[in-house]
Amino acid sequence: MKVAVALIYLEYAAHSLAASPDSGRPRGVSPDFAKFYKDAATFTCISNPSLSLPIARVNDDYCDCPDGSDEPGTAACAHLSPLSPQTTVNGVGAAGSNTTLALPGFYCKNKGHAASYLPFTRVNDGICDYELCCDGSEEWESVGGVKCEDRCQQIGKEWRRLDEQRQKSLGNAGKKRKELVAEAQRLRKEVEDRIQTLGTQIEGGERKVGQLEQELVEVERREKGRVVRGSVPKKAGKLGIVVGLAKQRTEELKEALLRVRGERDASATRLVEVEAILATFKEEYNPNFNDEGVKRAVRAWEDYAARDKGAEADAAHDRDLDALSQSDKQNGLDWEEYEGGDDDESETDVLYAFEAYLPPSVRTWLDAKLRSLRITLIESGILADTSSSSSEGESKAVSDAKTRLSTAQKDLDGHRKDLTTHQEDLDKPFGPDDVFRALKDTCISHPAGEYTYDLCFLSKTTQKPKKGGGSTNMGNYVSLEQIWVDEGAVPADGKGLGTGLRWAMKYEHGQHCWNGPDRSTMVVLGCAEEGEVWRIVEEEKCVYRMEVGTPAVCGEAGLKGKGGRDEL
Amino acid sequence: MLKVNGWSSRWASLLLLCLAVCSLITPAVTVKHENFKTCDQSGFCKRNRAYADTALATSNWASPYSLDAASVKFEKGILTGIVSKKIATTGETVRLPLTVAFYESGTARVTIDEERRQKGDIELRHGSKAKKQRYNEAEKWAVVGGTSVSTGAAASKDAEAGTTKIVYGPASIFEAVIRHAPFGVDFKRDGETQIKFNDQGMLNMEHWRPKVDKPVAEKKEGEEDVAAEADAEDEGTWWDESFGGNTDSKPRGPEAVAMDITFPGYQHVYGVAEHAGPLSLKESRGGDGKYSEPYRLYNSDVFEYEMDSPMTLYGAIPFMQAQKKDSTVGVFWLNAAETWIDVTKSTTAANPLSFGIGSSVTTQTHWISETGLLDVFVFLGPKPQDVIGAYSELTGYTQLPQQFAIAYHQCRWNYVTDDDVKDVDRKFDRYNIPYDVIWLDIEYTEGKKYFTWDPMTFPDPLGMNKQLDEHERKLVAIIDPHIKNEANYPIVEELKSKDLAVHNKDDNIYEGWCWPGSSYWIDCFSPKGREWWKGLFRYDKFKGTAKNVFIWNDMNEPSVFNGPETTMPKDNLHHGHWEHRDLHNINGMTLVNATYEALLARDKSEDKHHVRPFVLTRSFYSGSQRLGAMWTGDNQAAWPHLEASIPMVLSMGVSGFPFAGADVGGFFGNPSKELLTRWYQAGAFYPFFRGHAHIDTRRREPYLAGEPYTQIITQALRLRYSLLPAWYTAFHEASVSGAPIVRPNYYVHPGDEKGFDIDDQLYLGSYGLLAKPVTKEGQEGQDIYLADKEKYFDYFDFWTYEGPGTVTVAAPLETIPLLMQGGHIFPRRDRPRRSSGLMRYDPFTLVVVLGHSGDAEGTLYLDDGESFDFEAGASIHRRFSFVGATSTLMSEDLAAAAAAAPSKKAKDYLKLMEKVRVEKIIIVNAPAAWKGKEEVEISEGLDGESAAARKVTLDWHPKEAGKAAWAVVRDPGVRIGGGWKIGFA
Repeated sequence: MKVAVALIYLEYAAHSLAASPDSGRPRGVSPDFAKFYKDAATFTCISNPSLSLPIARVNDDYCDCPDGSDEPGTAACAHLSPLSPQTTVNGVGAAGSNTTLALPGFYCKNKGHAASYLPFTRVNDGICDYELCCDGSEEWESVGGVKCEDRCQQIGKEWRRLDEQRQKSLGNAGKKRKELVAEAQRLRKEVEDRIQTLGTQIEGGERKVGQLEQELVEVERREKGRVVRGSVPKKAGKLGIVVGLAKQRTEELKEALLRVRGERDASATRLVEVEAILATFKEEYNPNFNDEGVKRAVRAWEDYAARDKGAEADAAHDRDLDALSQSDKQNGLDWEEYEGGDDDESETDVLYAFEAYLPPSVRTWLDAKLRSLRITLIESGILADTSSSSSEGESKAVSDAKTRLSTAQKDLDGHRKDLTTHQEDLDKPFGPDDVFRALKDTCISHPAGEYTYDLCFLSKTTQKPKKGGGSTNMGNYVSLEQIWVDEGAVPADGKGLGTGLRWAMKYEHGQHCWNGPDRSTMVVLGCAEEGEVWRIVEEEKCVYRMEVGTPAVCGEAGLKGKGGRDEL
Repeated sequence: MLKVNGWSSRWASLLLLCLAVCSLITPAVTVKHENFKTCDQSGFCKRNRAYADTALATSNWASPYSLDAASVKFEKGILTGIVSKKIATTGETVRLPLTVAFYESGTARVTIDEERRQKGDIELRHGSKAKKQRYNEAEKWAVVGGTSVSTGAAASKDAEAGTTKIVYGPASIFEAVIRHAPFGVDFKRDGETQIKFNDQGMLNMEHWRPKVDKPVAEKKEGEEDVAAEADAEDEGTWWDESFGGNTDSKPRGPEAVAMDITFPGYQHVYGVAEHAGPLSLKESRGGDGKYSEPYRLYNSDVFEYEMDSPMTLYGAIPFMQAQKKDSTVGVFWLNAAETWIDVTKSTTAANPLSFGIGSSVTTQTHWISETGLLDVFVFLGPKPQDVIGAYSELTGYTQLPQQFAIAYHQCRWNYVTDDDVKDVDRKFDRYNIPYDVIWLDIEYTEGKKYFTWDPMTFPDPLGMNKQLDEHERKLVAIIDPHIKNEANYPIVEELKSKDLAVHNKDDNIYEGWCWPGSSYWIDCFSPKGREWWKGLFRYDKFKGTAKNVFIWNDMNEPSVFNGPETTMPKDNLHHGHWEHRDLHNINGMTLVNATYEALLARDKSEDKHHVRPFVLTRSFYSGSQRLGAMWTGDNQAAWPHLEASIPMVLSMGVSGFPFAGADVGGFFGNPSKELLTRWYQAGAFYPFFRGHAHIDTRRREPYLAGEPYTQIITQALRLRYSLLPAWYTAFHEASVSGAPIVRPNYYVHPGDEKGFDIDDQLYLGSYGLLAKPVTKEGQEGQDIYLADKEKYFDYFDFWTYEGPGTVTVAAPLETIPLLMQGGHIFPRRDRPRRSSGLMRYDPFTLVVVLGHSGDAEGTLYLDDGESFDFEAGASIHRRFSFVGATSTLMSEDLAAAAAAAPSKKAKDYLKLMEKVRVEKIIIVNAPAAWKGKEEVEISEGLDGESAAARKVTLDWHPKEAGKAAWAVVRDPGVRIGGGWKIGFA
């Protein structure tokens, strides 16, 4: 937070610098604080007005004021901070004294560049802090002989060059963002259109399904009366042959079953043994030795152990197998009964057999009558509906009707699902102006260290070893957030997040990390002309953070405190 | 699943609940005991413990060792003779040459060798090429001074019959009374016996003997072992021994050396580091709250070591001190082989006739080494500093480290890329947290090949070093002794072709497993090996290193993943064909020695920045203190480990190796924020202050902790930095006297018996700064033991306490219990900087703490903090004293003698420091008489220059509600390197 405060001062200071030119202020005092140092004889501590000092004590390298305001140009009061040991001598706990530093830092005029404040801890420490103090004015005491020449011309020039580039780039980025927003709007429109289309389609579909249902009922009703004769077994002799073959095949299968079962049992025993070895291995290996091979093995074993074990040895299942392995007679199946045996006719067959003795005209009449009788019987539940008991027996008309219906139903379901998805999509947050909609599923690749990282916006992040091998999921997109970022000023090349609220995409539940959590990635977005991954950090074990530039967040209203000199 | 029914199911679920809860409480990790031997599993330890049992159980036990009176000669401070060991079964005697040396320092040394082996008149089994002598080179590595022979030592004529008496030491107050039969030595000071050798008759030197293969008698069923064999010694552990699947071929058979050393009247013994237990050593032969195993010294990579245990750890210092009221004595058992030490105590009614004298406690110790000489140094005190000083004179003083080395180190296994390192570096600055050194563990290398950088993750090490150097920060990179056995790796190819690796028992190159997989081990006992090693660190050889890169030697026990007890087979052969068993405990030190030499060699001596090396080691031996720092190895992020770190660091301090610390935060596991914060507060009082974490832990750099933790941690770090002048002075003191840097109560108050076992609070240097970091979760108050009748003041708010006794200090999370003892002056530098290097020209604050006497004193040592110029006198060494009677504060030159004819370097340094001044003097417990006083008078130029007297402001603050009065001299402006006087009267 402190930095943020400093930055606000930074901006403020810059403005006032422009307004009031340089004057005879004590060393390290900015124009904003000049008023406190005007008195020629005494100085009054800024936050402790009850304390007055002779003016000679200002910048005499001894800290007199509890708020440090008497030493704007030295490091004498640098220890006044909540980060320092809190002691009585520093006024901690003393009644009525305010020990918060009254000044934001050592004021570097940085003529030729932008003025800034430097923390007092860095004044006269023998290091030229050109990053904040390009004029080198903070090393005025030349401790150890250090000389910090004024580099503001050069640094300022370079900065302005970069800034110009950056402004240009920002301009371009702004344009790109507009394009993205337009694209996002187009995409949104597409979704909305699609929703409309789907509405119509669903309406139509519903109607169609209704019709087809009706139709199916009709067809079925019609078809129920019709008797299928084709399914009657032919000759008893043929059946005998089939039974013989079946018996033989059954025997073969039974033998194979016994053999396979034996093999299965043996393998299971070995598996138990191997699992026990690995479990002990996992218990007893020494993780400190960090042997990659061993670690991989343990990891693989953990994954394996955590996985679904598949069908557990099921006693009932085994009993079935036992039964199957027994001789068929014991199972109550006597092949001989079937081998030469006659087949009994079904009730309906009798009916049809009788029909055969009648004259054709009567037969037709009877047929019609019987059919309607049959339908009546079936419909009243007296007779079994053989026609629908098996699909084979189903007439083509019925099955066609069913197919038509199910196709229509499927279409309708599809459309409905589509509609939900699209509606949800519309409700999902895609950031300001819906801009991230345009990025969805677009990916950026970034090589870093031994991996290539892939960021797919609103989808997932992955990591792939350059040496080859499969990629690892580092998280799937979960949500869009705004987070506070405190990275100081944006570097000159613009590739940095700066300080302030930033949009971030959260990716979670990636591949599980050995000895750690599921992988996750926080993708934090900063403004850039091109989509680019700036930096990847493994903040904690398997918790990644990607800093990513994209035009999508450029000039983003509502995200204050961009930081960096560009705002000075 | 258990089948349970009815009432029992309730119990079962209760039981399950208990188990579940227990499994939450029980730490998931514990040491793997089965990987390490117990005394019973270590043949020679078992034999000698049994020997001791026999000696103790036999009422008329006679040690079979006697000194042949006729052989005794005393010449020029050295007594020689032959000790004979009589073998009961055969009647033959074994000749054991004895040397007793008396040194100018007052140290005596008893050495016993074996004549037959000296002559090489033995046969080795298995065709071994091992050396036949008993290992006699431990001295070469451990002892660097203090062995000039005493000219004043003299044989006394009034020795009792059967004894030889030598009078020696300062003012001839020491005596060594050598008893001839059975052989034994009593060491006396002022006529009183302090130390006894072989008083209990446990002296045992296993002489060499050939292995006689006895015909295996056919045993009939039910028949007992032949009675005749009952007398014969049990040879079961004499020859080849197996442990954990490894067999030790023991080509020389049994060869242990052992002896009892008694400290009559001494209740406490300290030392024999390194162990994770209390400072005052516990008894080790069983009983309530006592250990049942001896203290073991066999340098090992003990994974997840346990608390309160005599188990061996990574380093060995076979130096022990005994303490009784106003007397400290010590022994140094110079032996590099596996060593076990039993400690027992007995209470004796002193003299039943003398009234008023109660019983006294006597401590007996039993030292057992597997091989080597019997070689013991005796220190007779009487003060703790006399003993530690004499020991340090022998084994060398602590290296005066570079200033950065005593600042804060930020380590992690691993910072994964050079960008990562640079990012952490920037973050510390962003959060205004000081640090000096960032570390790289093994992952920076390409495939664990040392002296290489992973080109993917560390493409630009020099750029990284450059960024660190911008704020005078350093990088420490790890280099281990195992060299990867891989084709096209030039280092291993050289190692092989030059034959510089450790050999196996067959005298071929030894191959084992460590981080890189199959590896070879550099043999730093070999001069050629060291010379080669030296060359590897040259900037043009170890590319990517720069002047701000220093080295960490880990795994140098050596750790061998597939070796017996995670180390090398004992029958491996080193340079000179010494067996690994002979020198195991020294092995780690030889690597650090070679690395130290290498760092010296990479800079040219005429170079302006010819800087002092910095090497951190895990394994160590007596003498390692000369070479760098140690840390207590792989601890855990758990409160008991934080607690144990303090006695461990104190123990290192009194063992002559004070540059010690524990991994802040705990290596394994993730510390809670409270634990992390408390650990930083404690770590600020470790001489070696490094945060470290295992590769599988979450990041925990101080700035990640969040508020209020980050702020509190930063306060602790800044406290350390502001006290760096005091720390550096304490290091200087250690480097010239061997004094501990952080000191236990007994060292500071050797007359206070009640405080002899206190090991959870520490004094910083000679400054009377007494810290007792909080090491328990949720604790908000801290009881501090004050040994003397003196005033103590809270460091931060001057709250006043008074000893003797225990006082309670409030200790909420943001507070470090830290008191200032009256009577001291200590220096500070209060301006917070990014690193210690940037404080070089900052002004000083002096804190004068007045106690009962009204007097106070303290010293300051200062030099450039990096080069060897201090050896040429380029330093500032001042003594500050406040005299109550005259109310004056003076700064005197302690280096006056050296400064008589100052070198150019000395003058240049003083010139460089000319502007560095004292900006503030704080007087705690300022006299009430100063009320109303507004000025003090300053006279400068006491070192010769002339300057007019001047006056500066004094601010006096009255005492209020329990807090002392205090005063501040406003900007006295006196030079830190000059002589001056301030009059308060």
